[in-house]
Amino acid sequence: MINTLARVDQLASAGRSPWHRASAIAKLLLAAAIVTLAIAAPSVSLLAALYLVAATLALGARLPVRLILAAAGYPIVFSTLFVISTWDGTWRTPARLLLRPLTASLVAVWLVGTTPYPDLFAPLSRALPRSVGDGLFLTYRALFELIARAERWWRALRLRGGAGGSARARLALAGDGLGTLVLSGFERSQRQYAAMLLRGHSGRVCGCRHWAEWTRADARVALAGALVAALAVLVWGRA
Amino acid sequence: MSHLHIPDGVLPFRIWIAGLALALIALIVSVRGARDGSRLGLAYRGALGGVVLIAMAIELPLGPIEYHLSLVGPIGVLLGPAAAFQLVFVVSAILALAGHGGFSVVGLNALVLGAGAAIARPLYRTFAGALRPAAALASATALAQALSGLMWIAIMALALAVQPGGNPALPRVAVLSAIAAPLWLAGIAIESAVAYGVGRFLARVRPDLLPGPAGRGTERPA
Repeated sequence: MINTLARVDQLASAGRSPWHRASAIAKLLLAAAIVTLAIAAPSVSLLAALYLVAATLALGARLPVRLILAAAGYPIVFSTLFVISTWDGTWRTPARLLLRPLTASLVAVWLVGTTPYPDLFAPLSRALPRSVGDGLFLTYRALFELIARAERWWRALRLRGGAGGSARARLALAGDGLGTLVLSGFERSQRQYAAMLLRGHSGRVCGCRHWAEWTRADARVALAGALVAALAVLVWGRA
Repeated sequence: MSHLHIPDGVLPFRIWIAGLALALIALIVSVRGARDGSRLGLAYRGALGGVVLIAMAIELPLGPIEYHLSLVGPIGVLLGPAAAFQLVFVVSAILALAGHGGFSVVGLNALVLGAGAAIARPLYRTFAGALRPAAALASATALAQALSGLMWIAIMALALAVQPGGNPALPRVAVLSAIAAPLWLAGIAIESAVAYGVGRFLARVRPDLLPGPAGRGTERPA
């Protein structure tokens, strides 16, 4: 999961597709519209159409196919439980239960794969209480700083034979390792607190200011939004 | 086990919207509860959020499936109920963006994890009077994890019971319980053993990071 996050983070910042140039707020609105429609739509035809739109978005963002497949395949495992338990002998119920999450996960990978996290978190943080919004930025940043330490600890543990022994001993050792991460997290937070004071932190992490800057690439997002709206109107009631 | 990896569009609307509404109310209450929290506390929470995400990425093989740690107990003990709830909400939101669980279940995830985290510190402080810190943290984690796991099972059972479909609701819930009960017990054992290690390490190196026993005040900022 961490590797996926790191890969997506890199793609979002380094990508050069038109979707990468579009503003975060436009993409967030389009993603919210597609996910909401996918969850609410009763029609399998509409769900199939939305799935095609989501797949086109993800492929058009020039994201690695393996990443798209992973995102598309992940929900299948968990949807299967519901498909089996609600089996009613028709193909429509399983199709609905599979197309909904598949569409939502493709849209999610398109959104996070084309939008750097400061742009993505900035509008979200404005809708959340201040400390929670700031927590989004600080947690995400802390994650990448602590990963290297976690990997070094894991490597040292294996080299020194810590990966052997009873399950109980290994779990307690894992706890030791997480304890070192808690400790380094605490020390890191004190350094960060000092940096926040030095930089004049006013009580809110402002994030990037580009999230609402409209660009020419937003015309594509608007076009995709119009297509989705047209599909919803035309296909909503069909089977 | 204590985290709903359910994607969007699978849970019934009534359940996830109610979960989201409850989580937002709890979030507002927790923000008010932690209003005196300092910027240092905010930075600490961010760092611990990173630790939780790393812990959740550790895959522990459990037969045919893999168990992901949640650290509900240690986080609840280290931060206290209000700050811990904010942390689990943020972590759930980041996980949804990473494709682990849908956007619509962020509220339910926060409630499941937050419920366990909320009871962890009071339990720890009760146990700390009689037990060593590592054992107290492990015991508090066991009960916190038990609560989170029970909430997970309850939500899944409710979702299956109200889901329209051909099978009667009762057998669906029975099948779920048969699968979930051993996982629930395994989750309690794994999280407690890991919490024991965390508690042992912190008690040795930085005991001041752990709260004191009940009646002696709390040293850690939230």
